[in-house]
Amino acid sequence: MTATQGWLVLVALSVGSTLLAWSGSTGAVAAVAILALAWVKAQIVLNVYLGLSQVPAWSRGFAFVLGLFMLGAMGLAVAAGAV
Amino acid sequence: MSDSDESGGESDFYALPGDLMMWILIISELLVFGAGLLAFMAMRVTDPAGFTAAQGHLNATAAGINTVVLVTSGWLAALALKASEAGQVARVRLLLAAAASLGMLFLWIKGMEYAGKAAEGINFETHTFFTFYFLLTGFHALHVLAGIVILALVGWKASPRNLEVGTAFWHMVDLVWVLLFPIIYLLR
Repeated sequence: MTATQGWLVLVALSVGSTLLAWSGSTGAVAAVAILALAWVKAQIVLNVYLGLSQVPAWSRGFAFVLGLFMLGAMGLAVAAGAV
Repeated sequence: MSDSDESGGESDFYALPGDLMMWILIISELLVFGAGLLAFMAMRVTDPAGFTAAQGHLNATAAGINTVVLVTSGWLAALALKASEAGQVARVRLLLAAAASLGMLFLWIKGMEYAGKAAEGINFETHTFFTFYFLLTGFHALHVLAGIVILALVGWKASPRNLEVGTAFWHMVDLVWVLLFPIIYLLR
């Protein structure tokens, strides 16, 4: 993916997550969907903007830690909805 | 591990784009923001209704516009790095100036947002939500300000090496925002 393609996807996903919130969607499913979009955006910034796609070992390491963070955030979002 | 394995691992280690010290800084910053965001999410579990009511005072549209502003600025910085590798110094400076200008636009929109909160009488102590909101977005805004200064410096000394280091910092600022924006502004 080139920087320009990455930028276009980032803009589309940012607009998508804002529209999802605008639609009034609430609850665990909406929260997980919004965080999933953020997860994809973060991966694009890491691999395309920061160039980690050129260094697969580091890319996997960052993806693993980011995955733990996002799963933790999703778990807490679901827990907040369940209270 | 064989000698070749060791040398392979070492080459992977040093293959990171830019400067290793900048990556150590980037990882440190990401861990700090990540811990802050998870603490925010954990506090939200204790008072979801209060957090949702407090979040109602935020302008998600302005924050969404700021997201587009920042990812566009990151794109311009990425293009500047490509231009520096091609030896196009004038183009590098133009792209960095545009990236930094968008960074300033981001801060102006953020300033308007803070002014709106002040006009409503909202401060750090209004609710736990706003304690985290001001801490996390304020700390991020300081990084945007630092990033603008760094972009100016690497524009002045526009070598590919400097560009790689300076734009890496700017992309870290971008990365933090794409995680902070949905968690603070969008989750309900």
